[in-house]
Amino acid sequence: MIRELQKNGYLYLLALPGMIFLLIFAYVPMFGHLIAFKKFNIAKGIWGSPWVGFDNFKFFFGGDWLHITINTLYLNAMFIVCGLGTSLLLAIFLNEIRLAFLKRICQSFVFMPYFISWLVVSFMTYAMFNTTGGLINKMLVRAGFEKVSWFSLAEAWPFILTILFVWKTAGYFSIIFLAAITSISSEYYESAKIDGATRIQQIIHITLPLLRPTFIVLLLLQIGRIFYGDFGMIYGIIGDNPILIPTTDVIDTYAYRALRQIGNFSLSGAVVLYQAVMGLVTILIFNWIIRRIDKDSSLF
Amino acid sequence: MKALETLTGWIIYGFVILFTLACFIPFWMILIDSFATEHSLSTQGYQLFPTEFSLDAYKYLFSGKQVFRSYGVTVTVTVIGTALAVLISSAYAYALAHPRVKYRSIMSFLTYFTMIFGTGLVGFYLLIANWLGLKDSIWALILPYLLNPFYTFILVSFYRTIPYELNEAATVEGANDIFIFFKIAWPLAIPAIACNSLFNALHYWNDWWLALLFIDDTKLHPLQIMIRQMISNINAQAYIAGDTSYTAVIPAYGVQLATVCVTIGPILLFYPFIQKYFVKGLTIGAVKG
Repeated sequence: MIRELQKNGYLYLLALPGMIFLLIFAYVPMFGHLIAFKKFNIAKGIWGSPWVGFDNFKFFFGGDWLHITINTLYLNAMFIVCGLGTSLLLAIFLNEIRLAFLKRICQSFVFMPYFISWLVVSFMTYAMFNTTGGLINKMLVRAGFEKVSWFSLAEAWPFILTILFVWKTAGYFSIIFLAAITSISSEYYESAKIDGATRIQQIIHITLPLLRPTFIVLLLLQIGRIFYGDFGMIYGIIGDNPILIPTTDVIDTYAYRALRQIGNFSLSGAVVLYQAVMGLVTILIFNWIIRRIDKDSSLF
Repeated sequence: MKALETLTGWIIYGFVILFTLACFIPFWMILIDSFATEHSLSTQGYQLFPTEFSLDAYKYLFSGKQVFRSYGVTVTVTVIGTALAVLISSAYAYALAHPRVKYRSIMSFLTYFTMIFGTGLVGFYLLIANWLGLKDSIWALILPYLLNPFYTFILVSFYRTIPYELNEAATVEGANDIFIFFKIAWPLAIPAIACNSLFNALHYWNDWWLALLFIDDTKLHPLQIMIRQMISNINAQAYIAGDTSYTAVIPAYGVQLATVCVTIGPILLFYPFIQKYFVKGLTIGAVKG
């Protein structure tokens, strides 16, 4: 090791800031997981606080765990299915548009929502959905329907959140798919055309099969994070609205509230340790499955 | 057969145009309504084509100190954060991609592991707030995002495409590795580094999680938290203006809209430029995994 350091010292010097960063900001905080097994007292610190074994987990598993786990998995599943589906469709359709200027305009606009923060999205959501001046309610009234008070309608929010997720990310993912489509050799399409294949047949028999690897990589990356909610998104849009919490509370927002609002570090610690372990297990399982199906697509 | 082709065409164009409109309308609404009068906003709600225009919301917003302070915080965090992040991650990625570095696979694994096993909110909070004592400090907004493993791996795969012979030639000439990194690898990796900068800059500009966790002092509120305050906190006067003497009625709805516009303004102005590099960067990431 010393010889290696002597030989390539400068290279390790280049890597040093990154290594220090990982050590401090990624590995040191892992000691925070110990709090899950302690009755944490901020004055005594992690080491000084007494051990309580699995009490925090008993409390967590005795109460909210199933509820927030189901919410997290359900919302993420909706995001993955609708998000990848829509962006795949969008990419294929964009690729079929023959008017160059229209294609370019559409491509620019669908990518735009990706650049703004979830807080801006939440403001736009409010402008669309609020009861008194919201655009959607105004349209409903004009079309002869009753106003809907969306912000007190808990059942609707998993769907609204899905729509917002698709709206914000479809442009981004469709660019990845489009890049993959452009790398498909045009010879396939030309020979298909000679054989008299219609557009739909070309999409089904050429484009979709060749997009499979890209699709699988994106799918895997997202499934690996299925236990993680996008805190910026969900807390940004829902905030502390108590009516909507039952259907939209995910592991991350729950852990945040336990930490910042209730001040229960130990409960929050138990929740995030549960999340980290489940996340790791998911990745390992899915990687194993993918390896069996298609070795080249697996992550490791 | 012909009819089916036409129908397909209609569906394709219809879907794409509808999706584009759905993406465009909210932006349009926010922009155009920020110039509407408070009167029309409070009686008509949000409109796509307001009838009365005024600049009151912007006048009010810029009469206070908060918007300038928040801009200062966000720009500082974005500039310093992006510069440091690019420097650290491009150097780190260079070592990870370098075939002579014997421990690179261990280092890669340790980097990858942080992506799949979460550090956890509690440990992270304690680290920043208690152990490093960065509560209400601008560094709490910068330091945590200096090395993003995912962006780093995109850089690694880009460096791997640079021919190793260049490196060997320079070594024979007597150049050391740091010199080679800055003078040879960096200039060659400019497309990837530009993209990395943009990813990081966008991340810093749009983040509000760190500020929510660690910043209570309104003087250090970045723009995103300012929006949040404007939406949730009804007392806009105390927040924006501090002690200015604005006599007219406060344009509460208009100020929210104006704040949002001011926040996304720079991104949308740079957007055409950014988009090109983003697409390039995404393509690099997607093709190489």
